[in-house]
Amino acid sequence: MANEKDKAAIKEAVKRKKREHYVPVVPDTQLGFIHNNVDCIGCRACEIACKDKNGLPPGPRFRRVQYVEGGTYPEVFAYKINMSCNHCAEPACLPTCPTGAIFKRKKDGIVDIDSTLCIGCRRCEAACPFGAPQYNAETNTVVKCNMCVDEIDAGRKPYCVMACMMRVLDIGPIDQLRAGTYETKARGANDEVVRQVRNMADPELTNPSIVFVPHSKGKVG
Amino acid sequence: MTRRASTEPFDTNPLSGALPLSRRRLLELAAAGSAAGLLPLGGTNEAKAFAYEPYPKDDELETVVTSCAHNCGSRHMLVAHKKGDVIVRLSTDDGRYQKDGFFGKDTEEEPQVRACLRGRSYRARLYSAERLLYPMMRVGPRGEGKFKRVSWDEALTFVANKMVELKTKYGPQAILDQSYAGASYGVLHKSDQIEGLLARFLGMFGCRTSSWSVPSYQATTFSSRMTFGTIEDGNEDDAFAHSKLIIMWGWNPAYTFHGGNTFYYMRMAKQRGCKFVLVDPQYTDSAAAYDAWWIPIKPNTDAAMMAAMAHVIFSENLHNQDFINRFVLGMDQGTMPDWAKGKENFKDYILGTYDKTPKTPEWAEPICGVKADDIRKLARMYAGTKPAALKASWAPGRNAYGEQYNRMAAALQSMTGNIGVLGGCAEGVGKAFHSEAVAYPYDQYANVWYASIKSDRWAHCVLNYPNVKREEVGLWPRQDNLDGVIPNIKGIFWQGSDWFNQLTNINKEIEAIKKLELVVCMDSTITPSGIWADVLLPIATHFERHDVALPWYKGHYYIHRPKVIQPLGESKSDFQVFTELAYRLGFGPAFNPKANRDYFHIDDNVDEAYLREWWEGRVMGNAAHPVTMGWEEFKKRGIYKFHLHEPHVAFKDQIEKGIPFQTASGRIEIFSTQLAQITDWTKTQYGYEIPYIPKWIEPWESLNSPKTAQFPFHLISPHPRWRTHSIFNNIPWLRETFEQEVTLNAADAAKLGVKTGDVVELYNDRGRVVVPVYATERCMPGVAVLHEGAWMDLDKNGVDRAGNPDFLTLDEPSPAGAFAYNTVLCAIRKTTLEHKPGWDQLATSRSHVFRRDL
Ligand code: SF4
Ligand code: SF4
Ligand code: SF4
Repeated sequence: MANEKDKAAIKEAVKRKKREHYVPVVPDTQLGFIHNNVDCIGCRACEIACKDKNGLPPGPRFRRVQYVEGGTYPEVFAYKINMSCNHCAEPACLPTCPTGAIFKRKKDGIVDIDSTLCIGCRRCEAACPFGAPQYNAETNTVVKCNMCVDEIDAGRKPYCVMACMMRVLDIGPIDQLRAGTYETKARGANDEVVRQVRNMADPELTNPSIVFVPHSKGKVG
Repeated sequence: MTRRASTEPFDTNPLSGALPLSRRRLLELAAAGSAAGLLPLGGTNEAKAFAYEPYPKDDELETVVTSCAHNCGSRHMLVAHKKGDVIVRLSTDDGRYQKDGFFGKDTEEEPQVRACLRGRSYRARLYSAERLLYPMMRVGPRGEGKFKRVSWDEALTFVANKMVELKTKYGPQAILDQSYAGASYGVLHKSDQIEGLLARFLGMFGCRTSSWSVPSYQATTFSSRMTFGTIEDGNEDDAFAHSKLIIMWGWNPAYTFHGGNTFYYMRMAKQRGCKFVLVDPQYTDSAAAYDAWWIPIKPNTDAAMMAAMAHVIFSENLHNQDFINRFVLGMDQGTMPDWAKGKENFKDYILGTYDKTPKTPEWAEPICGVKADDIRKLARMYAGTKPAALKASWAPGRNAYGEQYNRMAAALQSMTGNIGVLGGCAEGVGKAFHSEAVAYPYDQYANVWYASIKSDRWAHCVLNYPNVKREEVGLWPRQDNLDGVIPNIKGIFWQGSDWFNQLTNINKEIEAIKKLELVVCMDSTITPSGIWADVLLPIATHFERHDVALPWYKGHYYIHRPKVIQPLGESKSDFQVFTELAYRLGFGPAFNPKANRDYFHIDDNVDEAYLREWWEGRVMGNAAHPVTMGWEEFKKRGIYKFHLHEPHVAFKDQIEKGIPFQTASGRIEIFSTQLAQITDWTKTQYGYEIPYIPKWIEPWESLNSPKTAQFPFHLISPHPRWRTHSIFNNIPWLRETFEQEVTLNAADAAKLGVKTGDVVELYNDRGRVVVPVYATERCMPGVAVLHEGAWMDLDKNGVDRAGNPDFLTLDEPSPAGAFAYNTVLCAIRKTTLEHKPGWDQLATSRSHVFRRDL
């Protein structure tokens, strides 16, 4: 378990890291998420599926379904923005890690934290513009979405995607998701997709691998 | 076509998911070592990719298909991934398990049955701190919550002796059956008011008072029986994909997940151009997801608005006269039965022929708080769009005279000819495809009772015995000398039921329970009801016994539920407990003919024999929908999905082939033959008069009554999403996603001087509860929404810190038996009293952290 850490290995990792300078990994194919802000019913089955899979205690949530609402009675609207980690092209979290525990996979661009090297300093948590890294007080580590690498490697899709009762959450190669060429139930025939919705941090910061089908009130620009 | 490497992970080839460790993956695993984000310096070990290490991957674990098993209105697949006897994680249907399935298969005819958030949290429930592991007996005063661990023998000896004593001293009505569909909804291990194991057990013992009204939907049960002659008035969920207009009347499938995939088929409908309307005091997540036109309405006034819609439809001649003439009774003069020609018909009522009050939109506007023009617009929309589904949900029926709302909806559905057509809707109750539901011996002993009362009148009956009139408790008529005999209730059995926490007016229940001599609670969890019991019997969950699951409501499939793990602690299945008790009481072999007394210790072969017999006989032999898959194959796959050639639509045969409806007249009875002929209402189970045609009747309290001077808010208590009634309230994962809070209109909150997160007290003559506020524009002014099912947690002054609305509800059912859960006025004030979200010390929910206003 994470609290019985191999101190020597961590020291070794810190030393190695100090000698590094970071050049973002350019993945062969960058995988990313798509979420339909309108058709999502906000049920949070995706969140719980993720918590169960990753054995998380109450507190840290890799996937966070955010409720947005507005208007004035009775002219109101509501929609959901669902985000976990965006496995950014230029992850802000990665270079902040003093032990080099955070890495980006070459194959598919998944950004992940090696929990055996994490010392719980929470720098990545502060660096990420999207609130993805989650502190687990029980283990004194920061944990986050790893896009269910085990499932991806087994030829399946992540737990949250496979949990979605409305089929509005999916993953795919981000280029194809952005271009609208990837076949997915998350997007309806006439839906456009966007890189950013209101109240979301500027995608230029890290180039997050996520697109949304936005609500009319959630569009920016 | 050569496949690009990048798309390989999403290969829909059935084998890619099924092969645990392909050659390709071995290569990938080897490659992963060099995938670190830092420039590789050589000698880097493989990164550990998981939140905890070592992390067992799914393909390294044993996979067992099962399902969830609680009383939610749905049923979904759960797939247990286990190591040894421990469930490590749960997943759900991914298309692989069914016949001809493969990873990702998810078609319109055979969609995946994906579990909701509650189902996904089952592991936390299974292994929860509140899990009941040993038989326990009360040591302090009842309700104090002090118990000692005892042996099964001691507990069962006590229960059996007490049962005999009560029956001898107080007669065959002394024990009240409060079994419900709580957590044991299977074909073999079943808790249920009528089809349950407890009903048969107490019936055979010869001492049982039954509870006949269903808390969730008695109004619509009554309405559907009277109007259509059956409660199977539902279409299957896939039928919703074919509507052009769906009116969600008090219906929030985004919260209740009614039916396996209802919410998803409605998304398909939206993509195909269907329009949605929501009539509800709240702008729900369903309204948001389906982009519905929201018509806020004052609670309890639905029947008035529907009457006004009928007025528009009649006066603008938008009704389907041909349909009415062919299929409906009593809609107008021409369709009245000969013997009742002179009586008021539905059109008379709507036009005000007799009472001189035409039910115009202008008449309804002040009652409902809905603009006359909006009523008119909706009426025209409904009458002018074909096919259109007016889905009259259960919640507006959980009211004073709730049955009038459901009957009125049936009138609208039939006057527009939307019954028996694909894309229309006659619901109502909404039960659709009929599955074979009972695998245990369901024989002449099933559902034997010696008295039967309206379920939420038990406390009234106990507290006022013997000075109780039969109509006060809704005593069901009998043909023998027990007819009219008020039961002297001295004991209660709860099987898979947390009714003490869930029925109305809990403070009155607390008074009543003190007068009882035996309270038995059979559950897998220590529930708020259990705290008030004398004996707690630990019941194995559905992961720990063998059964088959059915869709509760809609959907057409069976899911196998093997014993995934051994029962925790000393738990036994409910069937084991009843069988052992039956042996002690002298009717063991008759109660469980396939078992002998060893059954208490070894249940596998007996349960297998019942299930196999049921599958091979009833399921495979079902005349309408025979299943060809054998029992062994079913067990191996874990699921059987029916492939229907067209969506199941209720009453299609009646409309297309002219088969009579199951009513006395063979027609849709807007004029009820049965009700029109009742002369002495006190001798019926209803107790009080119910009009033979649907009518708007003023409820005993509402936003229109003078009582609002003292209690200005109308409280409604809908089903929550993050628990099923009270089940799952103890799950921290779920409690952090949503919060027990009272939803108020933002302007109302401002008047009270409170904002989201502030703690308030809700109170009326019946009780006091404490909860935080959620102030929003999404709620109608004057309305307070507090979800049912929070686990009561009383402070020393009797104030409920958990925020259970049933401290405020009234135990006065509607004549037809509907619980008046939503007929409640209360007042609200800011408070310094403590709110406790759960029995543990968990941090409060973080739900509001993720909620933002624009
Ligand atoms: S979303 Fe945050 S945690 Fe995830 S990769 Fe981007 S910066 Fe890192
Ligand atoms: S991809 Fe996996 S880890 Fe990430 S949010 Fe989804 S379920 Fe959780
Ligand atoms: S499971 Fe799907 S519908 Fe439910 S909250 Fe998650 S993304 Fe939305």
